[in-house]
Amino acid sequence: MMDQISKYTNKLVADHSALRDRIAFAAQDDTLLTTGEPERARLAGDVLGRLDALALVAARPALPFAEFLVRRISSGESCIIPRDTETRTFLHDIPFLRRSDYEAGGPELLARLLGNRKGVIVEGVGIVAVGAVTVEQAYINYSSVFHAAFVKYLQDLLADGFLIPGEPAAFDDFRNGWLRPLTADGLVFRTGPLVEPAAILSEVATVGRYTVERGLVDSFFGNISCRSDDTIYISQTAASLDELDGCIDPVPFAPTSTTGITASSELAAHRRIYETGDARVILHGHPKFSVVMSMQCDREECGITDCWRDCPYVRYLGGTPVVAGEIGAGGLAKRVPPVIGESGRALVYGHGVFTTGRRDFAEAFRAMVEVENWCRNEYFRRLAERTKRQAPPA
Amino acid sequence: MNGWAGTILKVDLTSGRIWRETLPAEILHAYLGGRGLGVRLMRGFHSLDPFAPEIPLIFAAGPLCGTSAPTSARLAVVSRSPLTGTICDCPVGGRFAWSMKSAGVDALFIIGASSRPVVLRVAGDSAELVPADTLWGKTIPETFDSLADAGSVAAIGPAGENGVLFASIMMDGGDGGGRGGLGAVMGYKRLKAVVVNGARTVPIADHERLENACQDVMRLFRASPVIFGELGIAEYGTPALVDLIRQRRMVPTENFRRTYFAGSCNYSGPAIRREYQPQRDGCYGCPIQCLKRTPLGEQLPEYDAISHFGALNAISDLSSIVRATTICNELGLDAISAGATLSAWGEGRGRFLTADELPGLLADIGYRRGDGELLSLGSRRVAEQLGTPGLSMSVKSLELPAYDPRGAYGMALAYCTSNRGGCHLRAYPLSHEILRKPVATDRFSFSGKARIIKIAEDSNAAVDSLMACTFAFLGATLEEYAEILSAVTGMEYSPQTLRETGERIYLTERFYNCDNGFTVADDHLPERFYSEPGSSGDGIEVPAIDRARFDEELQKYYRIRGLTSEGTFPYPGFLGRQP
Ligand SMILES: [Zn+2]
Repeated sequence: MMDQISKYTNKLVADHSALRDRIAFAAQDDTLLTTGEPERARLAGDVLGRLDALALVAARPALPFAEFLVRRISSGESCIIPRDTETRTFLHDIPFLRRSDYEAGGPELLARLLGNRKGVIVEGVGIVAVGAVTVEQAYINYSSVFHAAFVKYLQDLLADGFLIPGEPAAFDDFRNGWLRPLTADGLVFRTGPLVEPAAILSEVATVGRYTVERGLVDSFFGNISCRSDDTIYISQTAASLDELDGCIDPVPFAPTSTTGITASSELAAHRRIYETGDARVILHGHPKFSVVMSMQCDREECGITDCWRDCPYVRYLGGTPVVAGEIGAGGLAKRVPPVIGESGRALVYGHGVFTTGRRDFAEAFRAMVEVENWCRNEYFRRLAERTKRQAPPA
Repeated sequence: MNGWAGTILKVDLTSGRIWRETLPAEILHAYLGGRGLGVRLMRGFHSLDPFAPEIPLIFAAGPLCGTSAPTSARLAVVSRSPLTGTICDCPVGGRFAWSMKSAGVDALFIIGASSRPVVLRVAGDSAELVPADTLWGKTIPETFDSLADAGSVAAIGPAGENGVLFASIMMDGGDGGGRGGLGAVMGYKRLKAVVVNGARTVPIADHERLENACQDVMRLFRASPVIFGELGIAEYGTPALVDLIRQRRMVPTENFRRTYFAGSCNYSGPAIRREYQPQRDGCYGCPIQCLKRTPLGEQLPEYDAISHFGALNAISDLSSIVRATTICNELGLDAISAGATLSAWGEGRGRFLTADELPGLLADIGYRRGDGELLSLGSRRVAEQLGTPGLSMSVKSLELPAYDPRGAYGMALAYCTSNRGGCHLRAYPLSHEILRKPVATDRFSFSGKARIIKIAEDSNAAVDSLMACTFAFLGATLEEYAEILSAVTGMEYSPQTLRETGERIYLTERFYNCDNGFTVADDHLPERFYSEPGSSGDGIEVPAIDRARFDEELQKYYRIRGLTSEGTFPYPGFLGRQP
């Protein structure tokens, strides 16, 4: 298990979601082991020892957003309720512990919370997340909480501006330090159309890795496919985009085999996009600014409350259509294909981006970069407008 | 009381007495219902011979049955298995559980043995035993038909009447009912059927909270490729697994001599669809509807049945396999044990069955005539009598289902630690080893599996006590179901408390088994899996299982469970400390 721990420690550092010297893991089979920064490692062990789970990670996020969220929330609350679809679906809400509560309740209290939820925000400690089955699962749950906090914080800033001291400076650090320019420059793509299965498999795996390496998406969330004449080659469900070797399912267009039962939950969307247009490849991920911006709706006096599921309108962000729709068989498979054809790009409310390439992945990848960059710029423009109206917090 | 009826209906078939008792609230809270409740009610009876008149046969529903909670209209039949000698629970679907709850009872507790065939009829608050001499000998569909007017039916067929050791109990509108031969226990009691009907509704503490939690579950179902994906089980039923398990090269073939069967493409999900244009069916109120029927209403086989009448017996003819399943459903035979007993017999005598021989031999088993007399005892006894005990591909005498353990090491361990014998559903490692949920694990590695299996056994014991469906948990988790249970009952449950409940149930079962002499010696796979490799190919290497590594992981499992290295309890007073 030590090899797994060091692998996911490195991933937390590489994807800039945790601070290298503030990461600790605990894992147990018939014995408990802990590793990493000593203070958090002790905590990780104390908590995991009380849980029926295989692994636990405790780390300080590389951004203070989760902590700010906790401090911005009124004192009666005990959890944050993100609005993005991924979190709604898989995490529901995210409990947090304020410093004083944690000091009073200790690992006992934290274990109780983690007995109910996959991850918890602990003021002063960071994000603590549990993996029932594997070390990877603890990493994934950490990553989900980090993503949810990121999206929620950016949304809340647009709505309410800065509220507490330290926020503007931290936000500047984020914008000028943590965020990297997003670009496809320097990446090598195979020229399509790809027809050989071996070439397709290798290109899908390569491009999956690009999306993560360039900071476009988080490792675990998203899916990617390439079609040949009679087959869709699609990443498997619960596969990491940067580790797709051996995790790509060939799914025939004709209903001749069900081996693709392990394919991505968005298989239906991919299939319909291929069937209704001229795309050869599809890229889907959850770039953070795109997720944030997809939820900024200007429609006034709208009666719809569950926009992420029920909104019937097509909006546009920088020319990219935005539609609603649940994951999987729920709805986006119906709503995305009709709007993605023209531009080869579509946003799904509170979820992420689909882009296509008519020839190969170069086009799809650049399109996703463009969508995310547009959303990023638009976000900062709107935030500047929002904060202009307010005096900085003392 | 919300959720639970709080009442049990007790029947003594020897004396004909029928009475209701209140179920203590603390027992219901501590064991939930279904499997857990049934197992708790077996305390003190667990060492009785399965064919002793005093042995209880228990039908127990869960607290969610009768509510809108997805997949919860199921119940557990619990007793001691005549096939394995272990405690045995069979989760089954259909309408029966719902109707039983409508009659205002959480469970039926049936002891004694009638001197003549009877049917137990429960209609609302009244219940009676009705002579059933004319029904004795009837097939299950015939029995359902003649009793349908009186309510939902659970019945045995000729196999149960004749004491076939893997006879099942079938529920109308339900899935193929159950493993371990509890149909024979019912047959020994001369109880042909139970009919239930009622009009009560289940009180729910918080409707809005329940509605929200149900929506969370449905959202997860829709996000799950296995459940509602276009290649998933709602579309194709469990035969959706045929192609996948072949591709993974872990199809038990020719009595587990090989792990790849090219002929399985004849009975894959798409092949069945082409041949039969199946319609959806399933448990009452279940949104998934994973059972499939022909347009004429004939039930199509599920994955394990299809694979065991297929690859395991080297048969690739779909119509013969469907016919074989139909016979099992008519006579009340567990198709998994039937298929595996036939394959052991086939290997033992040096020739597997032909497709033509299959239906006749299954009927012989059901009526215990000709070769069927011997085969009705299950593969372990058959193989022993043939002088080749190693040919029984079973653990604790329960025939293994259609996943070769050489292709998934968590499965290998789970077969051995299952309290009812070689069963994949107790820990359902297929979920992570093959279907990648919640995350993928390395199927060819034992690393971490001891704890993973332990956790999953506890979780599933809770699930089987809520009587939700195992498949639901390919999408949802205990988080959502704890919320549902809290909403229904008005008491707060969490995933962690549910797992703790599951652990109590699991250990109780294990304790009963240990009490009956089971030890580490029974927690082992047949020798074949440690000495013969599977069918490698397509870049997938399928070696034999490393016995030393298996033993090491089994010992880890015991330590995590708090058991001795013999797999037994370090202290005798376990039961006394449980509610
Ligand atoms: Zn997505």
